Amino acid sequence: MLTVEEIKQRIETAIPGAQAEVEDYTGGGDHFRATVTAEAFGGLSRIAQHRLVYEVFGAEIGGAIHALSLKTQVPAQAPTH
Amino acid sequence: MSSSEPSTTRDLPMASPSSIPAEAPSSGGAQNPIRDAISEAIAEHKVILFMKGTPEAPACGFSARTVAALQELDVPFAAVDVLPDPRIRQELSAISDWPTIPQLFANGELIGGCDIVTEMYESGELTQALA
Repeated sequence: MLTVEEIKQRIETAIPGAQAEVEDYTGGGDHFRATVTAEAFGGLSRIAQHRLVYEVFGAEIGGAIHALSLKTQVPAQAPTH
Repeated sequence: MSSSEPSTTRDLPMASPSSIPAEAPSSGGAQNPIRDAISEAIAEHKVILFMKGTPEAPACGFSARTVAALQELDVPFAAVDVLPDPRIRQELSAISDWPTIPQLFANGELIGGCDIVTEMYESGELTQALA
């Protein structure tokens, strides 16, 4: 079982400059939702952005992590509130 | 009466147990009928969705949401259920470099999974991507 904090740290460690907001939306430690903001996503398609995040977890996606719902953005797109 | 074509559920040869070779290599190689059948299906159908369950009876919330977006746009699509054989999912992910199901393809290209399809549906980009 993974924690929200672990998921967040692993994304932020693997993708330089990334900021991740992670939510465990069932509370079961295996279904997560993450919003990841990173300069590294600049110029990449959504597919490529999501792949960068999925690659952090490799075979854990579909294994220990049943679902990782993603929203990716570059900092300029982040809401300014 | 609807003027749109109904979605079709495509039966890949691999979905029929009798046609599954006893030993299918899991990567590369000339002899990989499952991978070949998936590639052919992607090439043959303008819009094709690999999902858990069927459009009529999705077996997963993410697949259901993706089907709903396509139906909302009235886009005809072929659908393949990945559940009958785990190798379908394995080979599909090897082809697409995408770890999760559903996976939507249009014109031979991966459009995305549930998150991307939903985001594109909401922004209005999906119609164009499937054209």
